[in-house]
Amino acid sequence: MKPALLEVEGLSKNFGGLQVSSDISLSLHPGDRCALIGPNGAGKTTFVNLVTGVIPPSAGTIRLDGRDVTRLPAAERVRRGLIRSFQVARLFKSMTVREHLELAVLQRDGRTFRLFASVARVPGLADEVAGLLDIMGLGAVAATPVGSLAYGQQRLLEIALALAMRPKVLILDEPAAGVPHSESQRILDAIDRLPKDLAVLMIEHDMDLVFRFASSIVVLAQGRLLCRGTAQEIVADPRVREVYLGSRAHAH
Amino acid sequence: MTAAATDRAKTDKTAAPAAAPARRPRDLGWLGVPVTAAAGLAAFWLFPEDLGLLTRILATALYVLSLDLVLGYCGIATLGQAAMFGTGAYAAGIAAVHWIGDPLALLAVGGLAGGLIALLTGALILHARGLTLLMLTIAVTQIVQEVANKARDWTGGSDGLSGIDPAPLLGLFRFDMFGRTSYLFALAVLLAGLLVARRIVRSPFGLACRGVKEDPLRISAIGGSPKAYLVAMYAVAGVFAGVAGALTAVTSGIVGLDSASFSWSAEALVMLVLGGTGRLYGAVLGTVSFMGVHHILAASDPFHWMLFIGLFLMGVVLFLPGGILSGIERLGGLFRAKGGKA
Repeated sequence: MKPALLEVEGLSKNFGGLQVSSDISLSLHPGDRCALIGPNGAGKTTFVNLVTGVIPPSAGTIRLDGRDVTRLPAAERVRRGLIRSFQVARLFKSMTVREHLELAVLQRDGRTFRLFASVARVPGLADEVAGLLDIMGLGAVAATPVGSLAYGQQRLLEIALALAMRPKVLILDEPAAGVPHSESQRILDAIDRLPKDLAVLMIEHDMDLVFRFASSIVVLAQGRLLCRGTAQEIVADPRVREVYLGSRAHAH
Repeated sequence: MTAAATDRAKTDKTAAPAAAPARRPRDLGWLGVPVTAAAGLAAFWLFPEDLGLLTRILATALYVLSLDLVLGYCGIATLGQAAMFGTGAYAAGIAAVHWIGDPLALLAVGGLAGGLIALLTGALILHARGLTLLMLTIAVTQIVQEVANKARDWTGGSDGLSGIDPAPLLGLFRFDMFGRTSYLFALAVLLAGLLVARRIVRSPFGLACRGVKEDPLRISAIGGSPKAYLVAMYAVAGVFAGVAGALTAVTSGIVGLDSASFSWSAEALVMLVLGGTGRLYGAVLGTVSFMGVHHILAASDPFHWMLFIGLFLMGVVLFLPGGILSGIERLGGLFRAKGGKA
């Protein structure tokens, strides 16, 4: 087996006396398509924030591509290939779709301090952006300001933006949140077209999407990692039924 | 694959009208430099008696343009742009009195001084946002003004710095008593400033700054440092403001304490909002209309002109929320729509 791209070991976080994440260990390998599920308040968002460096952990280590990144700031982890997309599309409203991707690519290449170059003439940029637009099917709206884009397309742009940064590990935080069920297939299609050697972790509520996307599923409950397995194993696990599917059935 | 293609063709039709407004400012931007040049030359022949005022307007337009770079393209709320203008003006003035005669070299001195003070103070204060930042920028201006006031031997204190007598421009054109050379020099510098500013806002750096203006946290999420962009743009704008200050010093021959005053900072903001932020040419338009109206009203009614200036500003802010330039753009759009129907 190839070495892990992301290794989380014994990750814990307490806010005062409140333990929101305790002793979570998880590893992602190239090509992994892993879904992180759990009932509301299970600590999914906290886990993502810990891994991406938005908040510091109380204990535990995070290794990215073999290197310890536990103490590195969020932006540095991004530069090393740990990229996330946001649950609520977080985009620059007045900028066009193309400008978003140009900015992400330029930032990744460290070319954003060129004051007198023209964006239109940066070598290779137009081609790379065109490729990204194509993968996500956004070519037709390339010149549209994001503020007037349909929500589903904004979600696709979120993924394209993450992809533009050449991630090694991609964390998708509810990529289909707010998208009508009929359109979520387009999001999944886009995710299917992601590079195969990428490790993808998807946080998702929609079990339909989870079963279609994931080769393995991790269940989080009350800040602890309950179990990891294939879809069949997870569905069959009585503990999961109790904490997750049980509470879900109850909610409906 | 073909399904995806037809799908894209479908969205293409719906996306076309939405894409149109995004392109409009670019058309205007292309016209801006020749239009400004033509208007500037026309004014040269139409108002030969007012070249002193017109020169001041041009230098001020460059100053307001520098504010547009920080406010319009980075979203930095500042009332301290006069600190950079004043520093540039005093640096050029002092250099002119003691060492340098060449006007272009004096502009370089002013730009350098303005850029340096912006870089230093920007690195200190730009971690703050909103009202806190506003207070800090005011504080910087007050400090610069007080330093200029206290260093009488160099700056002339409250009497002002005089005796600035620049050598002929390029060794050929003397600064004549009618102000013709001054005016054309100022016009050329403003046009050059517009071209450079336009280049910068369309560069990768300009793109990143627009991103910072909209959502600094999102910039961090793609691996960038919002503060680095803010400080860099603040310094670039400081160079512009410093050159504008030096231009004023060179063309007017005097530098006063008011060039680094709070009210001069505030006036720049008023002129920029009047013309329209984030568009470069809004700075020129706002400066010309504000100072033009100011001049006409002050001459025709010396007692109540402030009242009319106030009414004029309220009218623009209430009825043209994006400034004069947005009004012109809307008019242009209206004509275009009518033309399309006919």
